[in-house]
Amino acid sequence: MNTEPTTLLQGTLDLLILKSLIAGEMHGLGVSRRIQQITGGTFVVKPGSLFPALHRMEEQGWISSFWGESENNRRAKYYRLTKAGQKQLEVETKRWGRISWAIGQALEAS
Amino acid sequence: MPLFVKARSFLRNLFQSRRVEADLDQEVHAHLEMLTEENIRAGMPPKEAQRAARIELGGIEQVKEQVRQKRTGNWLPSVISDCRYGLRQLRKNPGFTAVAVLTLALGIGANTAIFSVVDAVLLRPLPFEAPSRLIAIHEGIPKMGYPKMGFSPPDLAIFAREQKSFSAIGTFRNKPVNISGRDEPERVMAARVSSSLFPMLGVEPMLGRTFASDEDTPGHNVVLLSYGLWQRRYGGVSSILGQTIDIDRQPYTVVGVMPQKFEFPLPGPDDNGSPADLWVPMAFLPAELQGWGGSYLTSVVGRLRPGITLEQVRGSTEPLAREVLASYPAALTKTFRAAELSISAFPFQEDVVGSVRTLLLVLMAAVSFVLLIACANIATLLVSRAATRQKEIAVRTALGATRLRLVRQMLTESLLLALGGGALGFLLAFLARNFILALVPSSIPLPRHLSLHAGVFAFAVGTSILAAVLFGLAPAFRLSLTSTEGHLQESGRSATLSRSHHRLQGFFVTVEFALAFVLLIGAGLLIRSFGKLLETNPGFHPDSVLTLNIPLPHEAYPQEAQIRSFYRQLLDRVSTLPGVQSVGLSNDLPLNAREMVSMAIEGRGDAESETPQAICQSWVMGNYFQTMGIPLLQGRWFAPEDRVESQPVTIVSLAAARKFWPRENAIGKQIRWGVKAPWQTIVGIVGDVSQGPLNNPVEPHVYRPYSQLPGPFLEEDPFGDWHAMNLAVRAQVNPAALTSAVVADVHSLDPDLAVASIRTMTEVISSSFAGPEFNMVMLGALAGLALFLSAIGVYGVLAYVVVQQTHEIGVRMALGANRHDVLRLILGRGARLAGIGAGCGLAAALALTHLMKGLLYGVSAIDPPTFASVLALLTSIALLASYIPARRATRVDPMVALRYE
Repeated sequence: MNTEPTTLLQGTLDLLILKSLIAGEMHGLGVSRRIQQITGGTFVVKPGSLFPALHRMEEQGWISSFWGESENNRRAKYYRLTKAGQKQLEVETKRWGRISWAIGQALEAS
Repeated sequence: MPLFVKARSFLRNLFQSRRVEADLDQEVHAHLEMLTEENIRAGMPPKEAQRAARIELGGIEQVKEQVRQKRTGNWLPSVISDCRYGLRQLRKNPGFTAVAVLTLALGIGANTAIFSVVDAVLLRPLPFEAPSRLIAIHEGIPKMGYPKMGFSPPDLAIFAREQKSFSAIGTFRNKPVNISGRDEPERVMAARVSSSLFPMLGVEPMLGRTFASDEDTPGHNVVLLSYGLWQRRYGGVSSILGQTIDIDRQPYTVVGVMPQKFEFPLPGPDDNGSPADLWVPMAFLPAELQGWGGSYLTSVVGRLRPGITLEQVRGSTEPLAREVLASYPAALTKTFRAAELSISAFPFQEDVVGSVRTLLLVLMAAVSFVLLIACANIATLLVSRAATRQKEIAVRTALGATRLRLVRQMLTESLLLALGGGALGFLLAFLARNFILALVPSSIPLPRHLSLHAGVFAFAVGTSILAAVLFGLAPAFRLSLTSTEGHLQESGRSATLSRSHHRLQGFFVTVEFALAFVLLIGAGLLIRSFGKLLETNPGFHPDSVLTLNIPLPHEAYPQEAQIRSFYRQLLDRVSTLPGVQSVGLSNDLPLNAREMVSMAIEGRGDAESETPQAICQSWVMGNYFQTMGIPLLQGRWFAPEDRVESQPVTIVSLAAARKFWPRENAIGKQIRWGVKAPWQTIVGIVGDVSQGPLNNPVEPHVYRPYSQLPGPFLEEDPFGDWHAMNLAVRAQVNPAALTSAVVADVHSLDPDLAVASIRTMTEVISSSFAGPEFNMVMLGALAGLALFLSAIGVYGVLAYVVVQQTHEIGVRMALGANRHDVLRLILGRGARLAGIGAGCGLAAALALTHLMKGLLYGVSAIDPPTFASVLALLTSIALLASYIPARRATRVDPMVALRYE
């Protein structure tokens, strides 16, 4: 649990965050756990990477934040996808599709 | 839309930083608590759950710092906090801050001041329309020793007609004149200019008009006033237009006043380089236009036609020179062809500033060396200070500061120092600029007033930033290498790091000594040159001699007899004044001989086939030689019997006798002007007298009796100085005290005469020293400053070394080293640094000093005595500066030193 099983590709973290927020608004820990879940435990995002990414994406207008109550009645900061964020997700998804296809080709070639 | 979001984030981060920070803090804490709860739910005991959560989070402050670094506009608050932090650091060390800021203020101030002069003289284009298209054109007779002169009037007419490179040609020529009427008669500088000159330069008059092209012919007495003269003498009223003023007793109508800032001719060139108080039309007289082969005195500037380059002009001058030569009278053609009459072209700006270029570049190099030394000094101080800051850096690193961030923090501090120094320096330059310019002797053509405009300010700011990088980068980089582990523990000392500090400081001190060495060599060469100059025998006795220039206006004294009689009576009157020992007249004075003639020697083959010899000539009257103290070496003085109708006689200088009659006696030999004039017999040989600045070689000189100056020549006076004789009076006691009595004698003969250039010969001599003396003092002061800063540098480094190595020294002494060994250890380190520095400086000086050859006199650019004495001086200063810390080291008490840990 202390080391990331796989180093995240540049830009992949953004994609994963956007993808996990599709399911609805959630706080930082929620995003982190969601990513862990949807990647089958392959990616564990540490707070040191997660929070800078969340704040950067908020400043880019892809996600917005608000203070809400957590499951255990705790004040927590929630994030939700904006319209720009949804558009960005499409862009990132397409880009990712191209990259994974290209890498797959490259790996098969050898 | 994204831009809008970004801007909003930027503003929010900037202005609501407290709320943003609080939000972040809450968010991270909430995250930590949720992680803990999650762990508890998973069955961990509470303490264990909290620990695991903390490990997963990885440190609250680090996470927050990582978020901060990703924020939009995160640089701005961090720059502000860097600045605040830097200021606090600097305030904590007021001694260091004061020394650094003052050193930088001196360095940057000196650079700004010199740069403002360099900018005004060398960089800023001449204040005319499209100045880069203006070309100065010269005639030259290289074989006679004149590679670069003005144009003679008939040559100019042909050149102007035949040339195809220039769309306009302007001509000008200085001429001192008397103005009279209204107030006291006054001698002022005038310039004759062609009507084309001002339109070509693109300058408009402030009032009235400039000259019309029909005024280029004689007979139009019109004048343009300078703003200064208009204000000073004519009260600055616009009704002056259309009024007449008397110039050399002729009425001239004022047609215009030029703008306040307009200065022409531009100061700088030896010929026609005096800004005029008034301008009159060039209007060559018919006699001038027939004056072939003489009067090469008119300066010519042309504006290039579009598409024509200077190279094309240079390619076209040879046929033009041939064309000019072809129009010479047959008697002269051969001579001037043999002497290779030529035409050459230079950018006008280069022509104007040529003479001060070397001086300015040398000064600029010198001040930048001083600034470099100052930077090296501050760098060594910073390195010393770094030792005490390693702990602080280690803490910052532990709290998540990246190395880049640390370097930036250090550089911010350096920048604050440099900008503080720069601001103070700019202020110094601003306050001192006119004071410094007032020290510049008039013989050096520099502007008398400077404005510190935006460009100069930008230079000061740029220099400050550059300085900050120069002195801040290496120490900052070195400091950022501080390892976290060692310094968070109690002992903050690391022998390896302090050793590398010493190496860095050693490097800086070496650089300082190298730069100081070069500067000292430069100053030393100038001091040696000046010493040689002082030793130079001018060839006359300047003490107790008063000289006055007494010009007779052409129009008031048109007849030969009037002129001769005036000067005769003046001599008689002044010689009877009490306190006067002897008195004489000459058209030129020593150190300022202008009249040159070409001379042919009898019996040297076909005179026409030979190149005539250019030679200085002066016309003298009364006891001129005795008054100046010029010794008669052989033969006789001029006598009253040498009259216009008797055999022409001449006295030659020793240099002339040696050059033209090396194995014969010159007495009794005959010479003449050019190819047609009557032969003159040499009756005497006198000692050599310097004709120009003392650092120029003495040229052959011939003297003629004024009484034998042919009447028509005297009346026509093409050069204007046979009407403007200089009176020389040798006094029994104080020459200056005679001034009023002599001027009264002049005015008793003609009350309207203006007496000009009243000076003792001692003043003339010292003013001829002024230029070299200024160069020497300037460079000497800068070299002294450099030496002082380097001495402080080596002292600072060694003092630091001694403090750092107290322990080591203590051990050595405990093991039996005596005081002598310790002294040698520290002194040896100082000597080594100075030695390496001097070695590098020696190599640099050998490569650089030839650039200042133009400023030297009588010494070579690699003068061994200068190099040897500078080496000795630098070494002894370095040893002296090392001695103080070395002495301190010998007083180390081994017991105390060993406990020091």
